[in-house]
Amino acid sequence: MTAIPGAGQVLPAGEGAPAGPGRGPRRGRLGGWSFDTVSFFVVFLGLPLALFLVFVIWPFVQAAFYALTNWSGFTTEFDIVGLANFTTLLQDPRFVNAVGNSVMFGLFIPLITIVIALTFAILITVGGAGRGQIRGVRGSGFYRVVSLFPYVIPAIAVGIMWRLILDPSNGLVNGILTGLGLDRFQSFAWLGNVGTAMPVTMFVVVWGFVGFYMLLFIAAIKGVPSEIYEAARIDGAGRWRTSWSITLPLIRDNVQTAYIYLGIIALDLFVYVQALNPQGGPDNSTLVMSQQLFRTAFTEGKFGYASAMGVAMAIVTLVFAALVFTVNRLAGGRSERGRG
Amino acid sequence: MTSNFTTDQSNITPQPSRRSVLRAVMYTAAAVPFGLPLAACATGGGGGEEATSAAPGGEMDAKNPFGMAENTTVDAVIFDGGYGVDYVEFAGTVLAGLHAGSTVKVSPSTQIATELQPRFVGGNPPDLVDNSGAQSIGFNTILDQLEDLTDIIDAPNVEGTTIRDTLYEGVLAPGTYGDKFAALNYVLTVYGVWYSGSLFDKNGWTPPATWEEAKALGAEAKKAGKYLFLWGTEAATYYQTLAIESAIKEGGDEVRLALENLKPDCWSNDSLQATFTIMKEIIDAGYFKPGGSGTQFTAAQAQWSNKQEALLYPSGSWIENEMKDQTASDFQMKGVPSFSVTASPAMPATALHSTAGEPFIVPSQAKSVAGGKELLRVMLSKEAATNFSKTKLAPTIVKDIVPADGFGSTALVSQTEMLSAAGTDIFTFNFVNTYGMNQEQLPIWNSFLDGKKSVADLTKELQAITDRIANDDTIDKIEVS
Repeated sequence: MTAIPGAGQVLPAGEGAPAGPGRGPRRGRLGGWSFDTVSFFVVFLGLPLALFLVFVIWPFVQAAFYALTNWSGFTTEFDIVGLANFTTLLQDPRFVNAVGNSVMFGLFIPLITIVIALTFAILITVGGAGRGQIRGVRGSGFYRVVSLFPYVIPAIAVGIMWRLILDPSNGLVNGILTGLGLDRFQSFAWLGNVGTAMPVTMFVVVWGFVGFYMLLFIAAIKGVPSEIYEAARIDGAGRWRTSWSITLPLIRDNVQTAYIYLGIIALDLFVYVQALNPQGGPDNSTLVMSQQLFRTAFTEGKFGYASAMGVAMAIVTLVFAALVFTVNRLAGGRSERGRG
Repeated sequence: MTSNFTTDQSNITPQPSRRSVLRAVMYTAAAVPFGLPLAACATGGGGGEEATSAAPGGEMDAKNPFGMAENTTVDAVIFDGGYGVDYVEFAGTVLAGLHAGSTVKVSPSTQIATELQPRFVGGNPPDLVDNSGAQSIGFNTILDQLEDLTDIIDAPNVEGTTIRDTLYEGVLAPGTYGDKFAALNYVLTVYGVWYSGSLFDKNGWTPPATWEEAKALGAEAKKAGKYLFLWGTEAATYYQTLAIESAIKEGGDEVRLALENLKPDCWSNDSLQATFTIMKEIIDAGYFKPGGSGTQFTAAQAQWSNKQEALLYPSGSWIENEMKDQTASDFQMKGVPSFSVTASPAMPATALHSTAGEPFIVPSQAKSVAGGKELLRVMLSKEAATNFSKTKLAPTIVKDIVPADGFGSTALVSQTEMLSAAGTDIFTFNFVNTYGMNQEQLPIWNSFLDGKKSVADLTKELQAITDRIANDDTIDKIEVS
């Protein structure tokens, strides 16, 4: 703000200047309201704020409001029913089951993805030969490119592709397993058994995301000065020790961000489960909150109740983010005031 | 900028202070989300108040019984499923020929509910909708926004005969909710068990009429290195349909009404239990191809129609058209009515589950209600109905359309034969669709067909769904008699 009045004074403030900024003469006291300033505010503050309010905040407010109604979704009429939708929600075994499944996905998908991505990232950047310059394993550039391939494929294509690969009769997986002489995998339904459906779904999601998060961690590790690694190596630290005591603490903020992003993805997961097991999996073992929400809204025509599910989903996601922050803080991570 | 020419004026106008501009920006920003969406908001606007004022109509006469205005463009959203949309486009061309200046715009859709939900709320729904497919709109949610279509049935068709006289018996029942005829179901669907005529002839097999015969055929199939049945994960409930059909044939109307009206213990009925039990025996004997719960349903169906790994498949008559490109040459698809449980069922062995499908609706708030109705009237003409049966190899609700050779389709001939053999012993049931139960029933059936559930588990879990809906006061119940 303070720099702008100065800039304004440079402009000729002549009375009635045809193309002059603002309307009329400029007075020195406040003097900051040039066309520049106003347009700057409109473009850089007003517009984004308006877009944010219209497309982010307002739908939230709407959803929260509809959560208190019995709106069917296809009429203009509805009654306000207060918190009835939420009390029903807590007793709805289908939704409780969906929350349980989502929480399982939310726990395991980020964990597995990050462990694998981090391992690969360390191998590619600093896991190479124990002598000489700090570098990754041989051929790391190739691995880096290849591992990003799955992330380039759209989620729905990943889902459909894996569904074909996992097809019991004609799929690649069972083809290889029976080819190896494991006859019990003849027509084995990976996505149709309670014991395997959820792990296989997790595997597909992890497969899709590992490459991207690996790249994220590679960028973070590249930011760590190599002198630190050299010093550690001179002190006799091995690969495990450097990874655990140097790499991980120095990129923990990236890990935390990745954890939250992946958690939000895993708590939604609509596209993947809808492609792999559209009907909710064996005994509804892969049915997630977003799927149940969609079904309630569009098949059962209960938009009010579905909005309540949406609000519940938002709460679960926020609780998840808060948990990740707390755990990171308790484990000695960065505090608000700076590095601790 | 007028200020350029009236500079004196601008001196008088108070300067916008920083605060006032900032405030104005804030007000605008704050007002935008409240103002803008109010017009477009989900429930804020709506055209409800105009619903009663009918669109300016043309003159009503026998050639234009609903008074469709001149130069109307009929807006039709058609489910793009097994039957495609070209049969409506065909009818649209006929309509354009009958009413010079008017046209039909057909928009295909596979997501009827998600696509039309905002249009229903906004008060500008299409003139005609084929509300079909997995993403169709539940009828109990939009019933009061739909036109009663009785006047179409009482109107003369394009050839001049009253439409009611040209239709099969009982085809209006599935679209009637309470006393409102809200949906015209266009396609006649025959449910049965389908098989390959050529394969059965070659092996000297006969299609079973009872479940015991089916079980015996299962043993034959096993000897030939094949399975009796197979299924796909999204279509596991086809076996529920088959079981309910057998039970209704066995126990009569009482079984059907108990299920339709969500009665307690309706799934524990003796006839249903007997059907479930013998199905379970067939499952345990290994006559079902394993892995169905992880197989996409059209891929599974192709294992029957193309690879012929299983002998029988229970389905509606859309199966022939659905698998047209994936059927072995000289397959000769034929059907038999669902099996009886014992040799002396309540209904004869020829009794048939048949109903009209593809529900066409005309929303009351549509721009041209008359246009939607007129398009339906044209679809019910001899010309359009013949075109449908010829290209889709399925009968419509218009009778006397399919010739004796069934346009060269063995399945179509077999449907006509089953229909005439059944005579008046035709039944149907709607509770699964009315209350949107299918999604919840699918996982249960997948596990049962996989051999992981006992008959008792199956019964208990299906009953739990029925009970939950019966006890939920927020769901409108439709009494069936």
